[in-house]
Amino acid sequence: MLLTVEGVSKVYEAGSVRVGAVADVSFSVAAGEIVALTGPSGCGKSTLLHLCGAMDTPTSGRLEFEGRDLARLDDNGLTRVRRTRVGFVFQFFNLLPTLTVTENIALPALLGGADRRATLVRARGLAGRVGLAARVDHYPQQLSGGELQRTALARAVVHGPALLIADEPTGSLDSANGRAVMAMLRELNGQLGVTVLLATHDADVAAAAGRVLEMRDGRLVSGSTPGPAE
Amino acid sequence: MFLFSRFILRQVARDPVRTAITALGVALGVAVVVAVRMANDSSVRGFSAALEAMSGHAGLEVQGSAAGVPEATLAGLGWLREYGSVSPVLEGDAVARVPTPSLRSADGRRPNNAPAGPPAGPPGERDAGLVRVLGIDILRDRALRDYQLLDLAGASRQPTSQEFLDLLSEPRAVVVTARFAARHSLTVGDGFSLVVDDTVRPVVVRGLLRDEGPGRALDGNLMVMDIAAAQWMFGRIGWVDRVEIRLAAEGPLEGTLDAIAGRLPDGLSVQRPSRRGEQVERMLAAFHLNLTALSLVALLVGLFLVYNTIAVSVVSRREEIGALRALGVTRAQVLGLFLGEAAVLAAVGTALGLLLGRGLAWSALTLTSATVSTLYIATAAAAPALDRGHVLLGIAVGVPLSLAAAAIPALEAARVSPLAALRGADRLGSRYRVPLGTVGLALGLIGLAAWCARWEPVNGLPVGGYAAALALVFAAAFFVPAVLYTLGRAGRVVLPRLLGVEGLLANSNLAGAIPRLAVSVAALAVALAMMVAIAIMVASFRDTVVYWVGQTLQADLYLGPATRNQGARAASLSPEVEAIVRAHPAVAVVDHLRALTVTVDGVPVQLNAHDVRALAERGHLGFKAPADAGPARIAAIANRSEVLVSESFSVKHRLGVGDRVRLPVARGEPEFQIAGVFYDYSNDRGVIVMDASTFARAFGERPPSGLAVFLVPGADAEDVRAALGAALPPDRRVYIYTNAGLRQEVLRIFDATFTITYALQLVAIVVAMMGVAGTLVTLVIERRHELSVLRLIGAGRGQVRRLIVIEAALLGAVSQALGLGVGILLSLVLIYVVNLQSFGWTIQFHVPVAALITMSVLVLVATALAGLYPAHRASQLRVAEQVAEE
Repeated sequence: MLLTVEGVSKVYEAGSVRVGAVADVSFSVAAGEIVALTGPSGCGKSTLLHLCGAMDTPTSGRLEFEGRDLARLDDNGLTRVRRTRVGFVFQFFNLLPTLTVTENIALPALLGGADRRATLVRARGLAGRVGLAARVDHYPQQLSGGELQRTALARAVVHGPALLIADEPTGSLDSANGRAVMAMLRELNGQLGVTVLLATHDADVAAAAGRVLEMRDGRLVSGSTPGPAE
Repeated sequence: MFLFSRFILRQVARDPVRTAITALGVALGVAVVVAVRMANDSSVRGFSAALEAMSGHAGLEVQGSAAGVPEATLAGLGWLREYGSVSPVLEGDAVARVPTPSLRSADGRRPNNAPAGPPAGPPGERDAGLVRVLGIDILRDRALRDYQLLDLAGASRQPTSQEFLDLLSEPRAVVVTARFAARHSLTVGDGFSLVVDDTVRPVVVRGLLRDEGPGRALDGNLMVMDIAAAQWMFGRIGWVDRVEIRLAAEGPLEGTLDAIAGRLPDGLSVQRPSRRGEQVERMLAAFHLNLTALSLVALLVGLFLVYNTIAVSVVSRREEIGALRALGVTRAQVLGLFLGEAAVLAAVGTALGLLLGRGLAWSALTLTSATVSTLYIATAAAAPALDRGHVLLGIAVGVPLSLAAAAIPALEAARVSPLAALRGADRLGSRYRVPLGTVGLALGLIGLAAWCARWEPVNGLPVGGYAAALALVFAAAFFVPAVLYTLGRAGRVVLPRLLGVEGLLANSNLAGAIPRLAVSVAALAVALAMMVAIAIMVASFRDTVVYWVGQTLQADLYLGPATRNQGARAASLSPEVEAIVRAHPAVAVVDHLRALTVTVDGVPVQLNAHDVRALAERGHLGFKAPADAGPARIAAIANRSEVLVSESFSVKHRLGVGDRVRLPVARGEPEFQIAGVFYDYSNDRGVIVMDASTFARAFGERPPSGLAVFLVPGADAEDVRAALGAALPPDRRVYIYTNAGLRQEVLRIFDATFTITYALQLVAIVVAMMGVAGTLVTLVIERRHELSVLRLIGAGRGQVRRLIVIEAALLGAVSQALGLGVGILLSLVLIYVVNLQSFGWTIQFHVPVAALITMSVLVLVATALAGLYPAHRASQLRVAEQVAEE
């Protein structure tokens, strides 16, 4: 298994107030899968994605990624995992406004110490693959929503990650652009073998996944097998 | 108010570090301005207060030539009593030497046989500093001054005239102030010494002046003795300095003044005593203006911190402002909220600054009083006191300027759109176009600077020079966006290669925040430019002085009295000392220097009389005009009763070769033709040189105030110096410098003069460093989302820290580069306009390359260090929480 989640809980504390975001969740993801997390707003999808993407650590439980327990890693360890093994795509794109499309795409690899010249060449190639060959020297402010998300997709895979975390990847796009992005996600999954774990409200997006995990009130209520979203 | 307390005050309290840094920045700026003003005031007030206390009720005073009023003329001035009480006064300066405590007996009295010694001080006596001795005719003087004597039991009372007469009938008797006595553990009956010129005179305390009125003048360094004894002690038998008049009738002073002036014989004049204070004030005006201008730099960077803090406040609360706007808060209210925040910070900073300024004033006074005493006038500066004027000055510079600095970000806050803010979509973008208007404005300001630099001085002050400097500073500020834009483009290629991905990110971050950075970089660049300009000016000046000293100081030995040139009348050497010098077999030629302070057009000027033939043969004067003048020109002035004037005199009095200068002579023709203008850096009031024979005709024979000694070839100056020192009688106090020693002394005084400029620069730089840290904190807060994304996609904490430190160093480098460029331009203005107009000195331009390189490296390191705190803050951002905000 690429990712194994066993009895994971996440509790946020603010003074004397404790808020449980994820409660006793268990599931696993095999390499090459596309898994969708669904559920109403505030059900804990994003928190679970953050935990799986090594952005945060669980309060309890075991979270094993490529054989390493993420719960036991310190900040440096988690950073290394994110830098080398995880790619991210978000609803609001999260591109750096001061970098060009090529530089944004190349950034994770550059942060990992990859050769600058070779990485920039690779980033341009990836930009071409997501249909942005003519936009490589543009800045994010000069792109449309669809182009922004395609740039984010290319950035998410530039360093050859094992897992791609996508949080509402089509949430800010119109349906045509949303479909195009999902098609691209599937294509990258197919061509590069990258595993995809995505959170969505959109039934069509969930339907495109190989498996759907449904959450409610921080718990996993269904989802061992693929099926239509409720 | 509800909104202000909840929205602003709570936030101010929530971030105590930022609040404290900003308040401290304002406080430092205000403190430096107030401290410099207090120090300036106290040096003038010290003189004025002393003058006021010493002149008592005198409404007018009659003065003579530069040599004083001949006593013989007093008999013919009996009619002055028609106008009121009249009292002659003689004043002189002496160095007091008091017994050291170890040599006192158990009852605190010093033994009568305590030895006298050389200026360095023997065991048993120590230097108690310069004192002013007031020689008075007590019977007449009591009408003018109130003397309160303390008796031995400590009770004070008015002395009877007989009592005072008894006290002063003994030639060695002096009345010292209670303050002086307490400071040096003296009491009635104790003996101590006064070094007058080059001679030690024993005196005895016969009374204590109560700590009020004259007893407080000059911080207590005042003594009173009988006028006849004073004339003897100062070698001025037959002369008094002035005749003071307490006017009997209340009436228009000007009318009485004119009436007396009309009846006075030639050579005497009448004036108000305060006029001497005005002269001192005018003399110090340029020096004080320069210090004030420097202190404003510290204030400027302090204000920049206010700008920064309000910018941070606006940037970090953009969404909240949007929410407020959405809820119906008007633009004006938003503007008021942030201006209110600035007002709170400014009020706290100003209050702190006033307290701090009070403390700093002592340091500023210590740093400036040596200069004032050495170069201008010997007087005890009054203790710096924070008066209402200083408080108002602090408030006037602290509060409105802080509000002006805060206006830019506050207006930005007022412009925040409710929708855009709530969407978080109006953050700074990367697309920036340089507004060509600012570049045009900058070029226009440079033109304005060039125009202002050509202005003539206003009331002797270089107003045009300062206007030019200000225009240059603003030109630099308007150039900053274009410079940042250009460097950002260039850095995109260079920095990633040099510094990897952190270099790429740092460059793109800075290039993307030009509007935010422009003010910060401009402020830092201006502070650095001032530092560079002053470094160049001081180095150029020092270089010029070193060259000038090398050219002019040609004699092998220089002798002067221990009291040096203190007070209005130069101290002199006794004939006995001169005879000892002349008798030494290694001495070839002796040039007498006779010095006198004369008033020309209401300004005190140094008049030096030389044996011009010796000066022409052995000495060297560098001539400004006529440029080809040489020894023959110097020697020729003896025959024609001409004078040479220094460049500063020529500039300040607008007199050149062929013009005539009017001097207050004791006898003979008062006008002298100027035969040449020479370079001189000994004082900025100006120097007039005439031949000893001309001097004697105009002012009478006077003992020399210094000797320049030329030795026979092969003689060793150190040996002769030692031999002359040993040959002096034990009661003589004479400074003997070798040529090298005097050059060292000149440079020591020079360096001491500029200590305060370095101190003020240091304050400016420290505040500027705080500014860099503040700017980067703003950027970190503004970019917290982007920084979190960076962490999210794999940037380690170390990488984020490096990124911010690189940004800090880049800010420092850009600012220093700009500072160097602008600083060189400013130094040209300082050297060729401000200095020339303030002091009348031509300074050769000299760039201290090594010092500037060292300074640049230090600035780079300091700014990088200033980036550590924001770097720490940036690296502590929590990844998931920030991204989850989306």
